[in-house]
Amino acid sequence: MQSFIRKPLAVASSIWIFLLLVAFVRPSILATHATTFSDTTFAFDKPSSQHFFGRGQVGEDLYSFAVYGGQNAVRSILIAVGIGALVGVPLGLISAWAGGRIDRATMWLVDLLFSIPVIMLAIAIVAILGSGITSAMVGIGFAMITRFARITRAAALAEKEELYIDAAKITGLSSFTTMRRYIFPNLIPTLVVQVAILSSIVILIGTGLSAIGVGAERDDADWGAMILRASENSLSEGYWLFFPACLPLLLTIVSLNLLGDALRDSYVPSGSVTSLTSTRRTAKTTTADLDVIDRAALFSVASLSVEFPTAKKQSPKKVLHDITFSVKKGEVLGVVGESGSGKSITMLASAGLLPAPGQITQGSTYFDGRDLTTATEKQWQKIRGNDIGYIFQEPIASLNPALTVGNQLIEPLLVHTDLTKKEARAKAEELLAEVRIPDPASRMKQYPHEFSGGMAQRVGIAMALACEPKLLIADEPTTALDVTVQGQILDLLSDIQTRRDMAIIFVTHDLGVIAEIADQVIVMYAGQVVEQASAENIFSSPTHPYTQALLATMPQNHSGDVDKPLTVIEGTVPSQTSIDAGCQFAPRCTYVQEQCTVTLPTLTLVGGSTVACLRAEELQSEVVNLTVSSTEKVTQ
Amino acid sequence: MLELDNLHVRYTPTKKLLSPAAKPVKALNGVSFSLGPGQTMGLVGESGSGKSTLAKAILKLTDVHSGAINFEGQDVTQLNRKDSLSFRKNVQGVLQDPYSSLNPLHDVGVIVGDPITRHLGIKRRDTRNQRVRELLTLVGLSADFLERKPHQLSGGQRQRVSIARALAVEPKLLIADEATSALDVSIQSQIINLLKKIQQEKQLALLFIAHDLEVVKHIATDVGVMYLGYLVELGKTETLYSEPTHPYTKMLLASIPVPNPKQQEKRKALRQSFINAEPPSPSNLPMGCPFANRCPVAMDICKKEMPDPTVTANGFSRCHLHTSGPKLDGETVVDFIKKQAHT
Amino acid sequence: MAKYITFRFLSLLPLLFAVSVVSFSLAVIGEKVNGSIAVQKCAEDTSPTCVATIEKNLGIDKPLRHRFVSWFSDALQGDLGISNQTNGPVSELLLEGFWPTFSIVGLSLVLGVSLGIAVGIFSGTKPGGARDTVTSVLSTSFLATPSYVIGIFLSFLIATKLGWVNPTRYTPTEDGYFEWFKSIILPAASLALPTMAIIQRQLRSSMASALQSRYVLAARARGVSRNALVAKHALPNAMIPTLTVIGIRVAASIGITLVVERVFGLNGLGVILSDAVTNNDIPVIQGAMLLVATLVLLVNLLIDIAYGFLNPKVRLENG
Repeated sequence: MQSFIRKPLAVASSIWIFLLLVAFVRPSILATHATTFSDTTFAFDKPSSQHFFGRGQVGEDLYSFAVYGGQNAVRSILIAVGIGALVGVPLGLISAWAGGRIDRATMWLVDLLFSIPVIMLAIAIVAILGSGITSAMVGIGFAMITRFARITRAAALAEKEELYIDAAKITGLSSFTTMRRYIFPNLIPTLVVQVAILSSIVILIGTGLSAIGVGAERDDADWGAMILRASENSLSEGYWLFFPACLPLLLTIVSLNLLGDALRDSYVPSGSVTSLTSTRRTAKTTTADLDVIDRAALFSVASLSVEFPTAKKQSPKKVLHDITFSVKKGEVLGVVGESGSGKSITMLASAGLLPAPGQITQGSTYFDGRDLTTATEKQWQKIRGNDIGYIFQEPIASLNPALTVGNQLIEPLLVHTDLTKKEARAKAEELLAEVRIPDPASRMKQYPHEFSGGMAQRVGIAMALACEPKLLIADEPTTALDVTVQGQILDLLSDIQTRRDMAIIFVTHDLGVIAEIADQVIVMYAGQVVEQASAENIFSSPTHPYTQALLATMPQNHSGDVDKPLTVIEGTVPSQTSIDAGCQFAPRCTYVQEQCTVTLPTLTLVGGSTVACLRAEELQSEVVNLTVSSTEKVTQ
Repeated sequence: MLELDNLHVRYTPTKKLLSPAAKPVKALNGVSFSLGPGQTMGLVGESGSGKSTLAKAILKLTDVHSGAINFEGQDVTQLNRKDSLSFRKNVQGVLQDPYSSLNPLHDVGVIVGDPITRHLGIKRRDTRNQRVRELLTLVGLSADFLERKPHQLSGGQRQRVSIARALAVEPKLLIADEATSALDVSIQSQIINLLKKIQQEKQLALLFIAHDLEVVKHIATDVGVMYLGYLVELGKTETLYSEPTHPYTKMLLASIPVPNPKQQEKRKALRQSFINAEPPSPSNLPMGCPFANRCPVAMDICKKEMPDPTVTANGFSRCHLHTSGPKLDGETVVDFIKKQAHT
Repeated sequence: MAKYITFRFLSLLPLLFAVSVVSFSLAVIGEKVNGSIAVQKCAEDTSPTCVATIEKNLGIDKPLRHRFVSWFSDALQGDLGISNQTNGPVSELLLEGFWPTFSIVGLSLVLGVSLGIAVGIFSGTKPGGARDTVTSVLSTSFLATPSYVIGIFLSFLIATKLGWVNPTRYTPTEDGYFEWFKSIILPAASLALPTMAIIQRQLRSSMASALQSRYVLAARARGVSRNALVAKHALPNAMIPTLTVIGIRVAASIGITLVVERVFGLNGLGVILSDAVTNNDIPVIQGAMLLVATLVLLVNLLIDIAYGFLNPKVRLENG
């Protein structure tokens, strides 16, 4: 609601609609003359202080006519939108709820009526019921039924898919109650917006009908009738005659539309629209300390920090803080962390793909001896897909549904190599065979929705490998897949990796997958790297309390009696990176000390691992036993 | 208490005018098992195995094609309205997605309180809220969650609310359909411990459905393995994990990565012994065993005939290795191999 | 694809039949409310034979079923009955009004859709930018202004003030394409501006969301250039919801042109229809309704086919 008030246009629209309602309830408050007032000697007088909008054919006061026209407008909306909503909404609800034959029959009828333009339908009803604004509005109302029914049905169907409807059924609520208490209330926002928008259509069409003499009577106080009279006299008396009717008409339609938009926005907080703009670096972006950069590595990222600006002029949301990592030629770097740890954003930002409005506030990127810190989108285009391949978590969503798989597969080849389309196709087929997709030639002609998740991920891999990159970034490539398919994809990746001596950055939340594929590992928590070590060290001597806890909480590592509860990490992952209040893991850490909540630990080399923990040395030397907390604490 | 008898569920795609009828998707094919009071059964399988359909069928959220679901002697598929209500009171569910299983418009008090009013007839606000507070404490949430809306809760907290809602009517059977799959590993173990604790305290029967075998191992006393709508193996947890009888169960177990590089290397080798093939489509199941094209020990008969459930030492298995079908030296293949190993 | 088109075409037939039932029932309901045309014509003639004679001549004394069958079979042959008012065949009257109306709607759609798509891409590729803000303000104002008000303004500015073109009646193409174009450009433009705004708005938002999709990100990660991302990856997907909007706008345009023609005094279906209403000429309205609904259904068929081209899922599942 606050966001609503902050919009001046929405407020102005509301004021106009309020005036219109006043004109409906008591027009005499706003009008200066009665509609019966006339004096032909002053016909077509120009606007004056007595007659703000001038005078009409019989000397009537056009301003007052416009006010009384507002009364007619509101009445039109009430009749037409009333009929439409009262019949259409229940019809849509029943159709969505019943499904099957009832639904199909209802929608067939609704679609049938939908194919007759509103104005045509209204004209037909006026012809039957006799002219007059009421019969015109009944006609429009009839047409509005189809609009309301379609929208209600679509929204209710979407709502019906939600799991909480299933949950309501499980609790034993009857169909009617579920509809009344669960589905309908969730539709109200959509319907309120529709009422505003359809009201504007009703006014638009109703006035139009009156303007061609099919709605209101010629001499009525009605905006449409006023336009009709104006058009009869405009050539001789001037176009200003249209003004008294057109001004309130336009204001009403604009207000209803703006109100509809504002209501929609207040119900559905529209996320900031991001765009294609490449990774933005602010003016204050600093490059990393040159000492941190591992120049021997194939790919190295130093001191990367990322922020997302927040809407309400608050301090920007920090997502990544001081991330440093590197990967050597032919090496597999595993990046592990829970949701919200920032592992995906790290990879996107490192490859120049950070979604807007994210901003890199600090950091440098080196790849293959080149400094990519300030690379432009154009320069990145030459690198991505060519030297750096990228595969994503949702394999099917990462393929364009409107294009054949072959068409997308040849894309990197056409962009980065001199191959002709024909050669690219041949090469693409080879690639599909390489990722073990049976019958590549016919698979090339298929669309993504004809692929299973595992097959689609193979296509993703084939695409990423097309130009023989030196580095492959794999962002949770197996998370969306079944565990048996995951195994196949891992086999495929490690096979290709050894054959091509390619470096891989493998992002996952599953330490088991890390154990299989990674040489080096970084562990992330709340936008920071908390531990970096060889895979061997991570599993044999995890040092950071979070790494330890993460390993201990895995059901696979549960030791002892099955009846003993699983090890847990109490609390929840913080939703925002905060570097001001000490170690971010402190609230959940079993080894927490007072200093942990004050000082932010930085990565330091302890034994064979680089760890961001104030007590790292103690922890490693003592070989602290993992404390198993079996009590369920109240979570905050 | 709960008994499934040869349950079949099919989804028939809506037939379009003038187009040939599409083949029905066979989501469940002759599933039978029983679950006693206070028992926890785990059900595992990959996507498309029909495990969620099974949950839906028991919770009366989907139509049954044939077969029976008996709950305390009554066939659930044939219930009238009144019995249906008492069935709802006895059987409750916790659903997969914590983000869509709570109505965004209702606060926690209403979400958990609604079933209390409906089934226990408690309408007075303070009595009802008192009850809700008790439930919230039970699931490890503080009482001030009563007035929060779902969007103010984290995934784990939402799932706790779902559990509180299910427990509100004091059910005898709780069905948890992938209740922890959407959660992070550190939160997942919290919820598992909670479910286990409640199950033991209340002596509930629990049907725990998940795709993660490791999770199921820690909560279930019996485990069923599903593949393409068939229940292919069922047995006591310890034995099923140590001595799986169905090749598919073996494949599943071999596919779970262990967070230990040395052990994982062994597992990887085991996993690679299975055949890298796509499972058949549930709308076009083969005549024989649906696992035959991925099975390293498939025989000719596997491609022709779906084996019946055969009793094994641990439970049952639907595999020709265990049927009386192919005989080696007058014995079933498994027994033959076992004997060979002993001599 | 051929199978899909055939399928769509065949499913049109029951709809067309239903539209004729609706049109036919108009006359029946009209009779029930206002009395038959014979009763009206015999308002002054009180002789008992008057009504019966006229009813017999018009064939409206027969049972409804028979009347529908004969009306329907006539309609199939293009005979839509006799106008009460002119006593001429309805089909000739409608055909006369059809070409102006059809030309205006057709031209307005060509202009509105092509401009709408162009501006939609233009603003959708950089949402939030300066050009997006400008086009948004413009399209919101076009969206809110009824075509007939735009028409009034255009006829004031272009026709009266500047005197460039001054359409007073429709000029058929036989008199030269330029003359034809001049006679309909103003009403067509009045219709086209809101059309453009509606399509621009839809395409802008679906374009923006397509550009945020995973597959565009994935294509970027393959090094696909910006222009190819927009044209090859985002546009076909963004056009799918836009097509639906175009379909709805076509039906609306056919309705609204009836009003716009009147503003310019063009002798299209709008003039014929409003005269018919004033004179309670039900056969003309009946025929017009059948004609207009058929037209809309045919356009929807075309949209559906285009939909199948853009969305492989629809095409493959239905054909």
